[in-house]
Amino acid sequence: MTFINESDLIERFKKGDPSAFEAILLRHQDRIYNLCRYMLQDPEDAQDAAQDIFLKAYRGLKDFRPDSALYTWLYRIAVNTCLDYMRKLRREAIKREPFTEDLESDEPFPELLYESAEIHDFIQLAFQKLPEKLRAAIVLREIEELSYEEIAEVLHTSLGTVKSRISRAREQLRHVLKGNGKFLEQNRLSNRLTGKGKKT
Amino acid sequence: MKCKHARKMISQYMDGELGLDEKKDFDLHIQSCASCREGLEEIGDLHRLLAFAKRFPAPYGFATRVLANLEEKEGSRFRRLLSIRPLFLRVAQVAMVLVVMTVGITSGNLLLAERTDLIGQTAVQETFSLDLFQATPPDSIGGIYNTLMRPSHEK
Repeated sequence: MTFINESDLIERFKKGDPSAFEAILLRHQDRIYNLCRYMLQDPEDAQDAAQDIFLKAYRGLKDFRPDSALYTWLYRIAVNTCLDYMRKLRREAIKREPFTEDLESDEPFPELLYESAEIHDFIQLAFQKLPEKLRAAIVLREIEELSYEEIAEVLHTSLGTVKSRISRAREQLRHVLKGNGKFLEQNRLSNRLTGKGKKT
Repeated sequence: MKCKHARKMISQYMDGELGLDEKKDFDLHIQSCASCREGLEEIGDLHRLLAFAKRFPAPYGFATRVLANLEEKEGSRFRRLLSIRPLFLRVAQVAMVLVVMTVGITSGNLLLAERTDLIGQTAVQETFSLDLFQATPPDSIGGIYNTLMRPSHEK
């Protein structure tokens, strides 16, 4: 399979080739959906949001300027769409775990979770406790593995703000992790067994 | 370096985002401060924990649904995009249709002229009846078949 340059795809789309958008969609759908899952938690909400994101991308792609990478542009649409969804969901007061703004919340995780949850369940719940902007920053850093500069571009903010948000997000997640001694021990044991305990 | 400042630098230290001088100061502080060392270790645990975080691929059929949604919401614009072809192809298509039509009409006229000449010879040029048509004209497939199948002594 030949790799088609992304700028070529964009040019083809601008000239009216619909298969170019399909190629872009197939190339980026996983990372955008993954971001939505971590931001919104619910699979259906994530899918709805991801659909909206690609609809917005389709409408905006003709004006896209290649001075930034396409994926950072898509991430920017994705984060803004997810933040809109989170506000809308909060307004509608859907019965779900509330997105708390209480930075010092010490509400414990259910005891059952300590014993039975998979790691990603724990991570999802921990992320859910983060305020929206911190969540966006830490998901882009830890899950999507973007650099600080890329995150600043996506969030349309300064490098200093990105550093601060990631630091605060980690501090809060550390607080959650620390409050879960059993899980921490399990994580350390798991790290030793899988060799992931080495510093990266 | 004070602990408050060092705490803020832990995250950037983890990501390799500190400058050389900052990193040197931070390392010095960490060596002498058990509390910050513990903080660094915990952030490290968190970082390693997040390495386990599941990646969610887009659900099966997601792209198809997006394209269907686009067609529904963008309607004619999307269909118009789908129907866009290069200009030379569109011109070639029209030219091909015109050529086929011209050849058809011309050959039809020639055949009719040939028939009317024959009919003229038998003085029924003005008449146009079913008698003009043979069931198997000699140059039709049926006529050729009959010629071929006719016993050789009849030819």
